[in-house]
Amino acid sequence: MSESNNQNPQTILELTNVHTFYGKIEALKGISFSIQEGEIIALLGANGAGKSTSLKSIVGLTPPRNGRISFYGKDIRGMKPENLVEEGIIMVPEGRRIFPALTVMENLKMGAYQRNDKNGIEDDIEYIFTLFPILKSRHKQDGGTLSGGEQQMLAISRGLMGRPRLLLLDEPSLGLAPIIIRIIFDTIKKINIEQKTTILLVEQNANLALMVAHHAHIMTTGTIIHSGTAQEIMKDETVRKAYLG
Amino acid sequence: MSINHSKETHYPAKESFLSSFFRSLTEEIKAALVATLWFCFLTLPLVCFRINANTQKIDYLWERLPKVAIIAFVATLIWRFLRKRLSFSHVKDTLDEVSGPPPDEARGPGGSWVTYLMAAKHKKLYAILALAFLVTIPFWVSPYVVMILITALIYICLGLGLNIVVGVSGLLNLGYVAFYAIGAYTYALLNHSFGLSFWICLPLGALTATTLGLLLGLPILRLSGDYLAIVTLGFGEIIRLVLTNANFTNGPSGIGGIAPPGLFGINLNATVKPFLVNLHLMHKDMDLNKVLIFFIMLLMVILTIICVFRLENSRLGRAWLALREDEVACQAMGINRTKAKLTAFAIGSTWAGLAGVVFASQITFINPSNFTFMQSVMILSIVVLGGMGSIPGVIVGAIVLTLLPEYLRGFANYRMLLFGLLMVLMMVFRPGGLIQSTRQVYIHKPLENKEP
Ligand SMILES: Nc1ncnc2c1ncn2[C@@H]1O[C@H](COP(=O)(O)OP(=O)(O)OP(=O)(O)O)[C@@H](O)[C@H]1O
Ligand SMILES: [Mg+2]
Repeated sequence: MSESNNQNPQTILELTNVHTFYGKIEALKGISFSIQEGEIIALLGANGAGKSTSLKSIVGLTPPRNGRISFYGKDIRGMKPENLVEEGIIMVPEGRRIFPALTVMENLKMGAYQRNDKNGIEDDIEYIFTLFPILKSRHKQDGGTLSGGEQQMLAISRGLMGRPRLLLLDEPSLGLAPIIIRIIFDTIKKINIEQKTTILLVEQNANLALMVAHHAHIMTTGTIIHSGTAQEIMKDETVRKAYLG
Repeated sequence: MSINHSKETHYPAKESFLSSFFRSLTEEIKAALVATLWFCFLTLPLVCFRINANTQKIDYLWERLPKVAIIAFVATLIWRFLRKRLSFSHVKDTLDEVSGPPPDEARGPGGSWVTYLMAAKHKKLYAILALAFLVTIPFWVSPYVVMILITALIYICLGLGLNIVVGVSGLLNLGYVAFYAIGAYTYALLNHSFGLSFWICLPLGALTATTLGLLLGLPILRLSGDYLAIVTLGFGEIIRLVLTNANFTNGPSGIGGIAPPGLFGINLNATVKPFLVNLHLMHKDMDLNKVLIFFIMLLMVILTIICVFRLENSRLGRAWLALREDEVACQAMGINRTKAKLTAFAIGSTWAGLAGVVFASQITFINPSNFTFMQSVMILSIVVLGGMGSIPGVIVGAIVLTLLPEYLRGFANYRMLLFGLLMVLMMVFRPGGLIQSTRQVYIHKPLENKEP
């Protein structure tokens, strides 16, 4: 969790005063934050705070009405989701959303939809099977017949198949048993360290997220009300009591 | 397994199926009686009332009622018996699975005899033998059979085209017949007004249908599911109404005298036919133009199968699959949803256009009543009955649904009833279709080899 070994961290994503609307409802009321390369950032907050909307705004599923989003200095606001995947921004959506009638293997291949490097894809599948060995023994099974935990593993793996430069995870702990959550968060940490993948993690479960994250932002109703390093927030009793329960 | 059968799932698997059935016999009879009452009540107007055309009064045919009731009762009992056996075997399967096959094999109930034959090693040999057999058909059957077979082939084409839209991409299109009509009318009109030949109109018909598919695709991009179905249904009706009311299409009376496809300007019936008939190689009433259409259709179906197969296993095909499975995830994978939807619609329509041109040349006279909603339903039934997303399934579905009505002609009045019964039976016993779809299976080799 130390940034000392990273002398000159580069800002990879920067949101400045981003407003996103659903019709007349303003779900994001001008949020700003940035992510440094190699970090895990946690976005915390209660239901309806706008965490998912933030992620969807970054990947172009709900294009912001104004503000600026830049990725490695390039303005990406208004770009199409498929072009953002090309840029290397990949979201693992809330509620897993794996392809139920496709096999585990097909789901993984679907994650590599935009890639052409056959060997690279094979290598990445190997790697994923070392991350989640259970997926290997299930690789011929339909995605829909997997357990909830396995589906979440598959969803993350499918995201990794796109070789993300920035991986956005929306509530990976949703509805899972503590043991499985443990495995998943260990793996998130592992991906971050081994693959140097920058990760933006949205979570309800603040304690869990703060354990793996470097920095965290706390949201309520469309705004970021508190930011800091994970340790700071973990120690700050008032913040924890007020916003994280 | 339905909810009211859940009780049975607790019976120990050792108990034989028959004894478990008879144990609950009174319950079964009660249920069958209720079903019979309902059936009689619902079909009462159909069975017992008949408008007498001469007297303009209603005749009451009460004597029919007991017969219908008995048939309904027995049928329901058999029905429940079969269903129970089905659920019983399911329970056994699940019990077996716990100790039985390894999780690797757990990919649906795929081990049917059909899939076994399909996966057989001698695929190429099968294909060549089948083709050789098909090519000889016109030389030993009657003209009537050739006509039916052409229809079957046309429906295979239509089914495979619609399968791209409905089966693979999951876009419920209830107006598919419109594109079929467009193909047919393109040829009819161009041939009628400008004397353009079949071979020029074949690509033109396909192109027109594709363009129309794109045009329809654009406004409905945001729709899916039920809404999409309703809009496409409306579209099909609009096209039919335009064809019925427009002047240039000759309205309800249609267009006649459409030329059959030519073959280098040879008059087949005058030159080749006497020769073949003399050698006893052909039925004496055979129209060689129809035989030519048969061969054209055969070639077209083969090309279609190759095309559709390659499409399904292409990048575009994967985009269609993703679109069907989950639109949000599809976008998250970096798939252009708009492009996937539009191409599915347009490419699906292409085959309807092609089939339409051939259809017009086959029957030489078309009018709007050839292209009603029932046709859309028929093509959709082919896809559903055969197995959504499955190429062999659609082929079998098309053959069954076009040949069956011909062979059921003897049953005249009960034809539609049997047709419906078949569909219902299929839904219960093979919900995935006659031949369920199996995509190219990706097996992960490198790691498996390392296993001890
Ligand atoms: N499609 C939509 N149409 C209209 N309003 C929406 C839509 N999606 C989200 N909202 C609204 O936007 C606000 C933020 O929603 P969002 O899904 O981003 O919350 P969240 O922080 O992810 O909550 P949760 O933890 O429950 O997932 C909520 O008030 C929600 O009602
Ligand atoms: Mg959310």
